[in-house]
Amino acid sequence: MMIDPLTLSIFVPLFGAILTFVFPRVATVSALLAVLGTCGAVFVLALKILAAGEVLVPLGGWAPPLGITLRADGLSVAMLAMTALVGLLVSLGALESLRDLRQRQYFWPLWLLLLTGMNGVYLSTDLFNLYVMIEVIALGAVGLTVLSGTREAVRAGLEYMYASILGALLFLMGVGFIYLQIGRLDFAGLIAAEASGATSAALALMVVGLLLKTALFPLHFWLPAAHANATAPASALLSGLVVKAALYIFLRLSTYMPLPDETLVTLIGALGAGAVLWGGVQALRTERLKLLVAWSTVVQIGLIFIAFARAGQAGLTESWKAAAVLILAHGMAKAAMFLAAGRIKDEVGHDRIADLDKSEIRPTLAQFTFAIAAISLIGLPPSLGFIGKWSLMEGAMAAGYWHWVAVTMIGTLMSVAYFSRVFAGFLRFDRMRGELSEHKGWALADVAPLTLAAAAISLGLMAAPILSFIELGYPFGAAP
Amino acid sequence: MSDPFLLFDLLLAGAVIALAIATLTVRDLFAAIILFVIFGLLSALAWVRLSAPDVALAEAAIGTGVTGALLLKTLHHLRYVTGSLGTNAVESLSPVQPVPAGVSWANAAFCGLITLGLATAFLGAPHAGPGLEGLVAEAMPASGVSHPVTGVLLNFRAYDTLMEVVVLLAAVIAVWQIERGLSDAPAPALGEVWEGFARLTLPAIIVVGTYLLWKGSEAPGGAFQGGAVLAAVGLMLLLSRLYVPRPAHRAVARWAFVLGTGVFAGVALLVASGGRVAFEYPLEHAKTLILLIEGLVTISIAVTLAALFHGREPVAVPAERGDNDA
Repeated sequence: MMIDPLTLSIFVPLFGAILTFVFPRVATVSALLAVLGTCGAVFVLALKILAAGEVLVPLGGWAPPLGITLRADGLSVAMLAMTALVGLLVSLGALESLRDLRQRQYFWPLWLLLLTGMNGVYLSTDLFNLYVMIEVIALGAVGLTVLSGTREAVRAGLEYMYASILGALLFLMGVGFIYLQIGRLDFAGLIAAEASGATSAALALMVVGLLLKTALFPLHFWLPAAHANATAPASALLSGLVVKAALYIFLRLSTYMPLPDETLVTLIGALGAGAVLWGGVQALRTERLKLLVAWSTVVQIGLIFIAFARAGQAGLTESWKAAAVLILAHGMAKAAMFLAAGRIKDEVGHDRIADLDKSEIRPTLAQFTFAIAAISLIGLPPSLGFIGKWSLMEGAMAAGYWHWVAVTMIGTLMSVAYFSRVFAGFLRFDRMRGELSEHKGWALADVAPLTLAAAAISLGLMAAPILSFIELGYPFGAAP
Repeated sequence: MSDPFLLFDLLLAGAVIALAIATLTVRDLFAAIILFVIFGLLSALAWVRLSAPDVALAEAAIGTGVTGALLLKTLHHLRYVTGSLGTNAVESLSPVQPVPAGVSWANAAFCGLITLGLATAFLGAPHAGPGLEGLVAEAMPASGVSHPVTGVLLNFRAYDTLMEVVVLLAAVIAVWQIERGLSDAPAPALGEVWEGFARLTLPAIIVVGTYLLWKGSEAPGGAFQGGAVLAAVGLMLLLSRLYVPRPAHRAVARWAFVLGTGVFAGVALLVASGGRVAFEYPLEHAKTLILLIEGLVTISIAVTLAALFHGREPVAVPAERGDNDA
């Protein structure tokens, strides 16, 4: 083994992006090879983590704080694995759903650069490096948003870019002040630093930037249009993976530099509650299927922040696990749901929820996929989403914070209500008199979302090993 | 700081703030861009006064030069699509929709909160805090170069710099894939004076850009600054029609975009053998490798910035508009 799997999981997609861009004719093959190679690197890394708990690579041979060290532990490898799995299946789904030559030519380099950036975030231990990585992610993501080429997509992409750059700049300003204050940028320096008013203000700047990037209510304004107007594989990547990068940084930072007081933890939870309620209402009102799925992302992001705040400041040492499980569950289920929604839109020819039951064609498999992805998002057992919601409520109840339980319950009921609007359209075909043409054979594009949705459900049965895996290397314990 | 400069510094600080306010409040977009360019130049001067010549060079070349050119090009495009091209600048105030009052207030509140956070962070911070200067100075002999900034950018934190170059690559790919990019607005007609100017200045720019790159290993300068100056060559060639992008040039352009990233990342991986990790340049070859990387990255940056100025993938255009593809 010449090069360590950490470096490879960043460089393989990077070289993949270069090859797909320079040789557009063989873009598909080289992209699939790059994604498979990344999956392989992550798999090797997971084995290493199981054996060693954590792996460190000081790039350039320079130890921090002078250089940048890559570090993998249970949580980061769980994020890498989720990204690789979702990425592989979305890539397979994209093979068939990207019909336009131009889209196919540009989808691969942008997506591989995005993968480079995300893997870089999950392995980073340096604040400035995190800033650079979220910039890589932002440009790849904006490119994917406008890939469909429609006027609405370009407009949504522009708004997304403004929000994203503003978020990154806020983060950068916070990083600058942290450096001014403690004179170093690595995580170990953060842990060692004494909390003061100035570091808290710097942390606040970084957190606001990250919340803007992860679209927590009320900074979610850019998300629905951007995610709903992209092409299906791009939507799946944006909603399933991209928003998770900023969430992950937030999780890491908030334990290395603990939020200074209880009020702030409650405030984060309250914003999450706002997202659950406002996003739920919007999902009930919207007329378009993809917009409904996008609003459900706003809801789920809110839920993850409630999980983070479920037991107050004292409970943070445990609460991050509930948040992490919800992140993993949402990544898979939402990618599956966006791919399925895209299939439905392709087959039926539109995505107006009210007219879904008047269609002549029944994209049965895509509808089935949509439904089982919804099971995980609603949080029914035995899905991974259920495990996340359960540990959210368990922790909140144990701490006596019943208001978080109540909000989660209301959010769950609302999600049943808005997903039922879609299910009703799937089921009531009796309205359509005349010839019904069944779907014409199973397409490869159906297999990918179905596998993802099935994974979101069945991984719930492996909750115990997953929970113990993300604890490996004590991500939130002692200094790395 | 020494006394003679105190008045100068105060004036400079006042001018930078005044120009920022003027840029934000002036109604005419053309005037706003010009004010922004002046703001950038004075900021570069401020960086010089703050003893950060590298940042000053970057601010002047990228933040002011290239950004100003991009803004002017965008304005030209906006005027073309709104049909106000050629009319008096002040009359065609703004092709952009006015912002609703509610949004303005929300923005103001948000900015106020951010300013509050900035103020708290600034006032609480030590004025001459601990930094990494000591560590950098200690490690410089092992870096292969003598200018500390280059040592940090190309050796100690080369990974960050590689990813910065990747950001630029992602940007140009994103721009190329937008079919609704800059439309075929006619390029402004440039007179003979302009062509003469281009002929005189092009060689000078090439020399300055190359010099900035070459000096980078021992003095302020380097790939980003040199690349931005060399990009000006591309801008001039595009503006003066000495070079017109054609679809047939796309393959070469793609190679030029990825050249810097590819070589940078390739070298990082190639040195990683025999117990070394990625980016761990052997000391005896460090200077050669760093200069090689910087040189190729400079080419990529220059070509990429020029392509961003062009604003779209060169595509075959219908015959009757054949001369409008710049």
